[in-house]
This record gives sequence, structure tokens and C-alpha cells, in this order.
Amino acid sequence: MFGAGAMTNSIGEIRDADFLFVIGSNTSEAHPIIAMEMKRAVRDGATMVVADPRKIWMTSIANRHLQIAPGSDVWLLNAMAHVIIEEGLTDQAFIDAHTEDFDQVIEAVKAYTPEAAEEVTGVSAEDIRWTARKYATTEKAGIYYTLGITEHTHGTDNVYALANLVLMTGHLGKPSSGMNPLRGQNNVQGANDSGATPIFYPGYQRVDDPVAQAKFEEAWGCELSPDPGMNLNVMMKAVGKSIKGLFVMGEDIVLSEPNVSRLEEAMNDLEFVVLQDAFVNETFRYANVVFPASVFAEKEGVFTNSERRVQRVRKAVDPPGQAREDWQILIQLANAAGANWTYASSAEVYDELASLAPQYAGISHARLDREAATAAARGAKTGLQWPCRTDTDEGAVYLHQGGVMRGKGLFQPVAYRPPVEPTDEQYGLVLSTGRTLYHYNCATQTRRESGSHIKQPEAFVEIHPADARTRGISDQDQVRVFTRRGEIQVRAIVSRQVRRGSIWIPLHFGEARANLLTTDEGDPITQTASYKVCAADVAKLDSATADNVFPGCHYAVDGPGGHHG
Amino acid sequence: MNPANGHAGKVTLQGRELPFAAGETILDVAKRAGVDIPTLCHDPRLEPAGACRTCLVEVDGWRRMPPACATKAADGMVITSESPKVERHRQTLLSLYLTDHPTDREASEKGAPDQLLDMAEQFAAPTDWGRMPLQRSGRPTDTNPYIHFDEDTCILCARCTRYCDEVEGVQAITLANRGIQTTISTVDALGLLDTTCELCGGCIDVCPTGAMGEKKPLVRKDKPERELTKVRSTCNFCGVGCQLDLNVDPDAREGHGRVVKVTSPAPGSTTNDGNLCVKGRFAYDFVHHEDRLTTPLVRDANGDLQEATWDEALAAAASGLQGVVDRHGNDGLGFVSSSRCTMEENFLVQKLSRQVFRTNNVHQCAAT
Repeated sequence: MFGAGAMTNSIGEIRDADFLFVIGSNTSEAHPIIAMEMKRAVRDGATMVVADPRKIWMTSIANRHLQIAPGSDVWLLNAMAHVIIEEGLTDQAFIDAHTEDFDQVIEAVKAYTPEAAEEVTGVSAEDIRWTARKYATTEKAGIYYTLGITEHTHGTDNVYALANLVLMTGHLGKPSSGMNPLRGQNNVQGANDSGATPIFYPGYQRVDDPVAQAKFEEAWGCELSPDPGMNLNVMMKAVGKSIKGLFVMGEDIVLSEPNVSRLEEAMNDLEFVVLQDAFVNETFRYANVVFPASVFAEKEGVFTNSERRVQRVRKAVDPPGQAREDWQILIQLANAAGANWTYASSAEVYDELASLAPQYAGISHARLDREAATAAARGAKTGLQWPCRTDTDEGAVYLHQGGVMRGKGLFQPVAYRPPVEPTDEQYGLVLSTGRTLYHYNCATQTRRESGSHIKQPEAFVEIHPADARTRGISDQDQVRVFTRRGEIQVRAIVSRQVRRGSIWIPLHFGEARANLLTTDEGDPITQTASYKVCAADVAKLDSATADNVFPGCHYAVDGPGGHHG
Repeated sequence: MNPANGHAGKVTLQGRELPFAAGETILDVAKRAGVDIPTLCHDPRLEPAGACRTCLVEVDGWRRMPPACATKAADGMVITSESPKVERHRQTLLSLYLTDHPTDREASEKGAPDQLLDMAEQFAAPTDWGRMPLQRSGRPTDTNPYIHFDEDTCILCARCTRYCDEVEGVQAITLANRGIQTTISTVDALGLLDTTCELCGGCIDVCPTGAMGEKKPLVRKDKPERELTKVRSTCNFCGVGCQLDLNVDPDAREGHGRVVKVTSPAPGSTTNDGNLCVKGRFAYDFVHHEDRLTTPLVRDANGDLQEATWDEALAAAASGLQGVVDRHGNDGLGFVSSSRCTMEENFLVQKLSRQVFRTNNVHQCAAT
């Protein structure tokens, strides 16, 4: 699209925005601190529109809530583009100077009238028009999105459709105006930047590019494979087939991956599994070797956040028992397998990364430490934002300044594709999964925390009163939620928070794994799974079964008080 | 605000001529010039309240002393922030506060440093004016796990309630009652778990006296914050990258150290502007949890995971992975790295995969 996978603006620019379009992001729960910045912008007079199938907290301060049907994003976004083009609100100068293929988008969105979109999305044509106009005509207008956009079989289409809006209105390369994916994990950005991806070496240099291959072969003194590897979703589907051995660091794949019952069966066909983790997890029962690892408070290194900011992680305490820092374990494993790695510190590992990835070259542990010490006095923020190519480079606060990074921003016409698994008589509801404020991912950390546990002790399903009534379900009933792939037992929360016809389940609970339900049908380009849309249904449990509702719970979860004292 | 953009005029502060930008307060100008004006109720994230009166200064031609935090700078203003009159005012004010606040540091300072006592010391305010009977009520039945309100040390600066309203936007706590009975409370004095509170703990962060304190270290009777070592790090939960201070008791765990609380750096120089959420501020118990793995494990011939030495585990892992390569080729292996781990660790996993095991089958859960 523009040439880089990252927030184009900085978090600090949000408070100065005049229009915020928040789509597929439950910001106050998944990114509470970014939500505080948004609240501040709204308090200072900014207009906010939230597009989400649920009445999330942010809708309570939004000017409008577009309560979109799950999976109909392309319709909404194309209809907004339709309005912007029809009413002549495009930024023609920007389009001429910085983009390619706008004609194709004009053609592609012709049929997406707001009236037709209302039929599919459930959002009124008036709301679509109003949002489109407001977005196009506000100078400082930013788009903020998360997994509600990407975790679909048409996730890439959604992102293209958003990018088309950004490009046709010229909302790029300016403060508070851009396209901002909010990253889910602390170091998603950094993990990609540092080359833990099947097609890129560190710094987005393609493994099938002979020049990059030669560069890394020289740096590492060995021959390297020119064949792109499998991405995680493909790899998980190949487990037990072409994949016969796994090394897994810091992820509970059996809890996190979609359609886990199939994966669990396939895991038995693996010949060798090495795990490196700080806690026992669900994947443990397949492990041949387990390395006790460290948590962030026990190690040195850097994380790169959502706004490309590289920041230090510092060792505060020693790991327990014989546990070691992860980077040390990796060196020892490589050397046990015949390598000769001699890094004496995490900083030395970073230096090698920086020497191979030019956008990181200007950053080092020493510089980060030195500049952090004087940040407050200089009125600067801690950390450096890539690209930062030299020792004196201050880093980039926002991307695409003075033009689009890849040369020309490429318009990508997209057409709506219906969900791969529509509802039917047996599975009459659309299931979405997501995060809550009080837990984090597999909750190996937060379920060991008294407050999170008190606020949210167990899994639940949100269901609309009308849907609950036809199924004889009352608030707080124990119910089973089922899809073609599996079922879980949870408590029902009958609430107008969800749309009629939709249900929602948090992904954090090991004893009621949402991913027993989800489909592993992926986006055709990214293979990112459709965690947000699959066909499901809910039925009330009879009371005899309901008494023993969490037979699978084997976390040591303490009640209030507990041994946290 | 940068005075270079939107230069609005000049003031004279302590004899120095200083430029200011439109909208700046006397306190903003002083801060930038490095002139220290004491404050208790001020926080740069909040609208000025002018409530505590600690920052009163003299302005030539003004009969009354205005609060620096809430008074906009105006062209030609001549401001005095250090004078016998200002000093006398500060001492009297601080002494008055201390008639309704413990003066004994041992008793008052259980967690965070008490800035009121610090300030009384700094300005040599008399602390022997006696003590009024306490009429503020607390909420002793509030069972929330994190946030404790100590009515005894509260000075009603209302930073906590304004933060709850203006920054977190949930309005869970508020000033309640009237006169000397005014206190910090909730609707019907409910426990925080029964309010709109999201347990962000911002009220603890902004409190200047420690009246809003964190329950866990108080209950555990950890050392007061002054005796802890602060280690600046980056939060390990979501992708915002909040900066936080791990407060470590270095003597605990036989010298291996224990994280006993998390605090946020001062606003201004971090992406999070001094804010944290419930996870970043309070969810640190996992670090020292008894469920942590402490020894390497290797599965034995009977299929059971057994404790092993590092050398055994590393050798078993290396030969096990090599065995897969021997039987199925390099692409028979897959490496799952982690977006929870550091850049350096991700770099090493992909290098392990590519250089040592010669496969590009390496990825992590980066779906965004």
C-alpha cells in the first residue's frame, strides 16, 4: 500500500487529532493508554466515530456508533469511498502526486451505494454519508484499527479498503493524520522487524532476494535457504504432516491457534518438540524438552512498540531457580547444535541486528540509555522511532512525510466477499472473539493476579436478549456454545452490548478455549485466521451438567485474598 | 508548548526576562526556565485547579497573590516566586495543612513518599500547631484488591478525582460531603468494584501524600517506596510500550530481588505520559509466582517429563531437532518465536532457524 507495516503516526499525535475513525478496535480494553489519548482528543473537541459490532466503552463518548454486522467491513468502507468520490471530496493534488491506480477504485466502488450498504452492514446510509464527509473534510483525521479489521478471511481486503480512504483523501504524511494499526502484543512490531517471519530477514529484506541472501550468507558465514518458509497458520496446518519438529518460545500454541482440536491431534504426530517458557502451559503435554525461561523483569533487551518506538527492557531481578534469560538459552542451544555464537550480552546481539537492518542502525542500547537519562530535560520522549539510520538521526515521528514511502501509494480495489461460514439453521449466530481489559491473551500472567480474577473470574458469552429469549436463556445461565469444530461451556451474559444475531466470547480462558470454536480458514494473502467471524449457536445447559461446568480447569487460580496476601 | 511557535510576549520572572506562548501559565514558563515553584494539586495532564494554593506568587501591581498553575502569563508581567512574603505564605499554608495531617513520617508514609512532609521540611514550616480531630470518612469495607484510601493523610487536593474524570474518564471517585467532612468517595460510598472504576490506579499515581495507596504492598508490609530501587523498563502487555518503574526490594529472595510494586514515570517524557492501565500497574505477581518453571525438563523413556540439568536438556534438544532434520530435511522443522519476547531474542530465534537449522520456517503470532 504505502510501504511499511506500522502506525504511520505516533501515539502522542492522537490528542491533537480532530477526527478519529476507530474501527475494529476495542481501544479502552485492548489499548487502554491509547484510549486515554483518544478520550483527551474528544474532551478537547475532536469528533469520534466508532465502527464495531458491539457497544464497546468507546461508543459511550463517540459522536456516532456504526454498529456494523460482523464481517461486512468492506461494504462500509467501500460505501464511504463511494460517497467521497461522488461528492468530490477527494484530495486530487495528493492523488496525482503520490498514488497509482485510483481509476480502478472509482470503478470498484460504484456499486457500493450507502443505501445498498445499509442492507448488508446494518449501518444507516445517513451515518455512512456523515462519517465519510466528516473524514474527508477534516484536516487532522486519523484511522485507528486492530484485529477487528485483520482477523477475517477478508482481512487484507479490509486493510486495502481503509488504505484507499486514506490515499483518496490525502490523510497521510501529516501529524495526527494517517493509518494506524494498534499492535496487540508488546513486541509484535519488533518481532517482525527483527526477522522472525518466514519471508523476511531482519529489516524486511526478502529471503528470496539473491542480494539479501548473499548479504546474510556473508554475515553469517553459511549457505541460506532461498525458499520462503511457512507462516504460522500454514505451519500449524502442516504440523504432523510436513512439519515433524517444533521449537516454540513464549507461545501457548494449543491455546492461541484457531481450531485447536485439529491441531491437538496433529501435535501427537510430531517427533520432537522443544518449549521455552516461563510457565507451564497447555502445549506442555507435547514437549520433549522444556527450558525454563525468564519474564521481562528478568532480562535485558528492547521492545519496539506500535508506533515503531524502540525502548529498553531492563533486568530488575534474577530469574527463579535455574531459569535463564531467553537470549542466553538461545545462544546455548545454537552452540549445542554446533554453532559458535559468542555474544556476551543482549546489547551485542542488538548490535548485530542493527548492522544488518539499516532502519535500526542508528539505535543501540547505549544510545537508548544515554538519551533516556536526559529525555525529560530535553522535553523529548524516551526511546527512538525507526527509521533511525545514524547516530545523529532523531528517528521518524510519523511516516511518509513529503510523499509515500514506496514511491507511489497503490490503490487496491476490493470487492466484498461474504463470510466463508454463513449462519444456517443449525448454527444461527455469528461468533466473534476478543480481548478484555482485565486479562491478557492466554492469561498465564493475568489469571495469577487477584484483581483480574475478581473482576473476571470465568469465561462468558455475550448474547442479545432477543436471541437469548428464543433459546430460553437467562442472564447468568450456564450454556454451551458450539460450532462445527467444537464446543465450550460458559456463563451467559444477556446484554444489548452485542448485536442481535451475534455473540462474543473472550479468548483468555484455558478451561473454555474460544479457539475450540474458531475456524482456521485464513485470509488468502496473510493466512491470518478468521477469529472474528464463524457460525455458532448457544444452548442452555441442564442444571446437573452445569454444576461441574469447568472440569478442564487446571490453573491454580486463587480466589480473592489467596496467597497474594 | 514551544515558545518558538506562537510567541505571545515576555514576562519577567525572578528578574529574568522570559518568552511565553499563547495559553501558557506562569507555572509553564517557570518550569521551562528551571525556576522551581512548589505545587501539590497540579498535574500537567489535568486542567489547572488552583486548589492547594502552594504555588502562589507575587505579580507586580496585583493586590492578591495568584496561583502560578492557573494564571495565564501576560505580556509585561513581573513575577516574584521567591520573596519573604511568598515564603511566609508557604510556611503558614503548609503548617495549616499539617493541622489536619500526620506530621510523623513513620506513621504517615507507609508506601509512596509524602510530598507534603517533604515540602514542610524544605520550607521549614512549623509542624507543632496541633492536630484537628479527623472528620473525613474512609471506605473500610471496600474490598477492591488494589486501591486503598487513607482518609488520615488526604489533603483534598482532588488530583485523584480530577484524574479519574479528565484522564481515565470513568468518574468512579468524587469529592463527597461538605466542609471539614469533605472526603474522597464513590456514589453511596460503594466499594470500587461496584463502581465504574477500571482499576487503572491513576489515583495512586497522582496522589501527592500517599493517601491513595496500593493495597498489595501495604498488606504485605513491604518496605516504603523510598527504600526500593526503581528500574525503568517497558511494559510487557500490549503494543503501546508504556514506560514503567519496577520497584525492587533488592534484599528480598536472598539478594535476588523482588518486584514489590510498579509505578509510572513522571508525565511528559514517555509515550504513556505517566499513565498505566490495570495490567501494567498491578499485574506483576506473575513474576514471582510459585508456578514459574525453575528447572529444565526432559521427557524420559516412560513418557514423563523429568527434571534435568541444563547440559542434558540442551544436548537432548539439539540432538532431537537434528534428528528431525536427518529424517525429514531442514524444512521438517518449524520455529515459533514470540512477540512477547525482546527484539534480540526474536533475532536469535530466526538466526537459529536460518543459520543453524537452514530453514525459513520461522514466525510468531503477529497477525496484525
